[in-house]
Amino acid sequence: MLPVAGEPAGDSWGMLACLCTVLWHLPAVPALNRTGDPGPGPSIQKTYDLTRYLEHQLRSLAGTYLNYLGPPFNEPDFNPPRLSAEALPSATVDFDVWRSLNDHLRLAQNYQAYSHLLCYVRGLDRHAATAELRRSLAHFCTSLQGLLGSIAGVMAALGYPLPPQGAEPAWAPSPSPSDFLQKMEDFWLLKELQTWLWRSAKDFTWLKKKMHSSAAAVTLRLEAPASDL
Amino acid sequence: MPLKSLCKMLMVWTWTVQALFLFLTIDSAGGGILKPCGHIIPESPVIAPNTTFTAICVLDDSECLRDQHLNANQIFWKIKDTYVPKEQYTVLNRTAASVTLENVSSLGGLLTCNILLYGQIVQTIYGIQIRVGWAPEKPKKLSCIVNGLSNMKCQWDPGKETHLETTYVLKSEWPTRPLTDCIPPPNVNNSCTVDMVVVYVNMDVWVVATNALGNVSSDRINFDPIDIVKLLPPYNVTVSNSKEISSILKVSWANPVDKPFEGLKYNIRYRSSDASNWTLIPPEDTASTRDSFTVQYLKPFTDYVFSIRCMNIEGRGFWSDWSAEASGITYEAKPSNAPSFWYTIDPSQGHGYRLVHLKWKALPRSEANGRILDYEVTLREGKTPRFQRYINDTNLTLNVTNDAFVVSLKARNMIGSSEPSTLTIPGRDFKAAHPVKNLRAFPKDNELWVEWTPPNEPVNKYVLEWCVFSDNLPCTPEWQQEGSATKLTYLRGNLMESKCYLIMVIPVYDNGPGSPQSVKAYLKQAAPSRGPFVRTKKVGKNEAVLVWEHLPVDDQNGFIRNYTIFYRTSSGNETAVHVNSSHTEYTLSPLTSDTLYMVRMAAYTDEGGKDGPEFTFTTPKFAQGEIEAIVVPVCLAFLLTTLLGVLLCFNKLDLIKKHIWPNVPDPSKSHIAQWSPHTPARHNLHPKDQMYPEGNFTDTDVSVVEIEANEKKPLPEDLKSLDLFKKEKITTEGHSSGIGGSSCMSSSRPSISSNDESESGQNTSSTVQYSTVVHSGYRHQLPSVQVFSRSESTQPLLDSEERPEDLQIVENGGNGDGASPRQQYFKQNCNQDEISPDLSHFERSKQVSSVNEEDFVRLKQQQMSDQRSQSSGSGQIKDFEDVSAADHFGSSTEGQIQRFETIGLEAATDEGMSKSYLPQTVRQGGYMPQ
Repeated sequence: MLPVAGEPAGDSWGMLACLCTVLWHLPAVPALNRTGDPGPGPSIQKTYDLTRYLEHQLRSLAGTYLNYLGPPFNEPDFNPPRLSAEALPSATVDFDVWRSLNDHLRLAQNYQAYSHLLCYVRGLDRHAATAELRRSLAHFCTSLQGLLGSIAGVMAALGYPLPPQGAEPAWAPSPSPSDFLQKMEDFWLLKELQTWLWRSAKDFTWLKKKMHSSAAAVTLRLEAPASDL
Repeated sequence: MPLKSLCKMLMVWTWTVQALFLFLTIDSAGGGILKPCGHIIPESPVIAPNTTFTAICVLDDSECLRDQHLNANQIFWKIKDTYVPKEQYTVLNRTAASVTLENVSSLGGLLTCNILLYGQIVQTIYGIQIRVGWAPEKPKKLSCIVNGLSNMKCQWDPGKETHLETTYVLKSEWPTRPLTDCIPPPNVNNSCTVDMVVVYVNMDVWVVATNALGNVSSDRINFDPIDIVKLLPPYNVTVSNSKEISSILKVSWANPVDKPFEGLKYNIRYRSSDASNWTLIPPEDTASTRDSFTVQYLKPFTDYVFSIRCMNIEGRGFWSDWSAEASGITYEAKPSNAPSFWYTIDPSQGHGYRLVHLKWKALPRSEANGRILDYEVTLREGKTPRFQRYINDTNLTLNVTNDAFVVSLKARNMIGSSEPSTLTIPGRDFKAAHPVKNLRAFPKDNELWVEWTPPNEPVNKYVLEWCVFSDNLPCTPEWQQEGSATKLTYLRGNLMESKCYLIMVIPVYDNGPGSPQSVKAYLKQAAPSRGPFVRTKKVGKNEAVLVWEHLPVDDQNGFIRNYTIFYRTSSGNETAVHVNSSHTEYTLSPLTSDTLYMVRMAAYTDEGGKDGPEFTFTTPKFAQGEIEAIVVPVCLAFLLTTLLGVLLCFNKLDLIKKHIWPNVPDPSKSHIAQWSPHTPARHNLHPKDQMYPEGNFTDTDVSVVEIEANEKKPLPEDLKSLDLFKKEKITTEGHSSGIGGSSCMSSSRPSISSNDESESGQNTSSTVQYSTVVHSGYRHQLPSVQVFSRSESTQPLLDSEERPEDLQIVENGGNGDGASPRQQYFKQNCNQDEISPDLSHFERSKQVSSVNEEDFVRLKQQQMSDQRSQSSGSGQIKDFEDVSAADHFGSSTEGQIQRFETIGLEAATDEGMSKSYLPQTVRQGGYMPQ
């Protein structure tokens, strides 16, 4: 700041002009963000909304599907041990550990988790007997695909590379030894989905807040030198 | 294969045209499939209109080419049955020729390549179907909407019809990957429904149209499906009321389940069931997710209808459709207003009582606030309540005294009762006063408005009564009540057009009703139903007074503003005269005299007029009194002239008499001697001659005549004349019978004896009244001779006397001094001579014979024959009497028989004594001048 103050009088004029320009552009900032390059903000918001929508969708799907599985899976206090579901990406990571990851890693984790989960959900589709359930599962799958795309979009907007896709078939669900164990797997799949979606929602809310504050700062920083020129 | 069959088909067509069965095809080695001798390139062309098209026909280097020695030069082209001009052909080499078609616009063009065999037989080688159509246009106006959760319907405008098979595909993709294409169902080219759309992910959507002439893509649209969501409307809408608060209703509903978001906002609208306009609850009150809402400030006991719609709470997407309507009724409240209350009085009750008809109007639903159970009527006289009654009806008749009293009325429903509506029924001697002022009524906006200026006194309310004013129908008034502040209102009723309404406004004060004011008005006037009947009251030479009657109210249809009289002559122009509506008489002038006029009359209201029937009259030639003015003087002049003439006549009477009436000798003053050779007879014939005693002469006179008649045979004229004379005398008697004494002035000659008689009668006694009326019979009838005998006279009868015996009796009865000598004389005559009665009979027979000569002649003949066979005597007479009676009269009166006796007597004596008459008479007649 001092060297700035030491500048000749013309500089004070430049400062004033800069201030004026910033003030002038303040109301235009969001508009600028939307019209030109939208930036990651809207896509993050959309991803968040989609996550919430998937949560909503999953609630009705899980209710229907657990009823389809029958007791004891449809009992509200049914809480079996996590067996035969090791292949599922677990969301039960320590919160602090998770918070300590950077955005890129978190997003990548999300992406990979949903990629795997999607494969399992497709497996659910194979078991489903009723057309109504098939339809709900198919729609959920489509939505889940949308979420994957959405996360990919956010990552792209933030300039992160997508995690490698080639590994996907490795998590292809293998047939379970028994029907009960298979149902147990399905149960845990739905539970994991729920947890993941809940976590993703939080992630995107956090990311959204972070982006919002940083976006404003970045804009200011960018605008000031531009006006100086 | 299809190619070959096409070729075959074409050949079949050609054959039918050519009627020549010539196969240019060769049986292939195998199974009878015909191989064409050539083909056209392109095989199935599709071209756009107005473009140039070239087809090449290639002759296969096969057997038919070799066998028939065909050459491309021989190829010619046809479109359907039309030859393509040679100029458009191009021979490319020995086996190929092309044709170039310009502006192919026909859509179904069948192009055939033909060849001429042996220079004359047309044979088709090959044919192609040219299809003409358009390349697809770029689809426009692509738009999508998400119905509920998952279905997305996209629509677009496919543009111009291509006339070709065109496919449309709705393509979509996410930024990261493409999505499944949406293919419309068959025969749909402008919409497609995408299954399972994912919200919150932006997607690109576009349409690709493809046909044989190309493909084209629409502009891409990019959107997040959440922004185009249109939810299903809320369902299970119910409405419930509250018993505690009658002004609220609670609306409940179920939100649509299938939605990609949680937050909803709503629009709730409602209306009362009989209204059509909706009221929207302020949207800010319903901008949060909920499933019920309580609507306030509603009217009690009113049916309301509700419907709801919803959308994303953030305003993304579209509003849903409105839900199904649900209705509910608010709870009852006590009536908010007192009923309209009025009365009429029937004063006909005697003995200090009168009938009061109370009437009120049921409260409108908006004021009743519930179902009205009954009405409470309370009657007070002064301060003391008389009775209280609960009435279900809306009227009540009371028989009350002539004193004033106060009635109040309350309407009650299950919640409570209304404020009372109070009326003061004044005493019988009450004088109404203080009417409203400046009352007027006028139609406006299809209502009849009434306006007035309030009176100076404070008014409780106004009552309007009205009815149709008609000549035919009695006034059955309707009524309505208005508040004290009202100055202008309209009649709330079913009013008819072109009817006269009599409207009465009555202010109601604390002590009773004020005096009414009335006005007449029409809701809408019309032309009268008929025109007035005009007629003339008086028609003069140059004017006519026309009269008519006002139209009856029922025919007026409005206020008659004026009349117009149209009149014209049969040839002339019509003239119109306008007359004020108050008049009923009008004098038309000037008119032409002696002319036929036709007049009719029209009555006009504000809305038009109507002609009455035509009336025709003729003006007279002369004015009234004109004829009299001419005739009277003329008559007067004539009268005067006549009078003058008469006067002159009287003055110069003698002179005129001399000229006009020559002096005719009076026969009464003449002397018989003047025309009879025997002078003595003259004296007898003049009764007025007083020279001789009457009696002697009379008798003698007759005798003399007889004698002379007999003696003077050589003078038959005399006898004849005498006979004639006698005859005439009798006829005269008959004729003059009615005249009596006045016959003295009649002609003198025939009245010899009658004059004599009357004269003698006069002389002997003035009281003698007699007359003999002899009717002359007609032919076979003998007239009945009525003899009036004198009552007191002593005078002898001269002619047609009874028998002397009778006479004697009569004469004895009377006692005339002058008569006795003559009687004596007569008697002497009778005694002296037996025949003397016969004389009288003879005389009478003469008379009779003169009455009826024919009878007499017959009688005479009879007598002649009788004479020979029978001798004289009474038996003879009797016989004759019988004969004559039998012969002539079937029935006869006594008098008649008597007379025939005498006739018979005379006749009998006639021949016997006719010779002896003369000597007798001579004997007797010492009087004879001889």
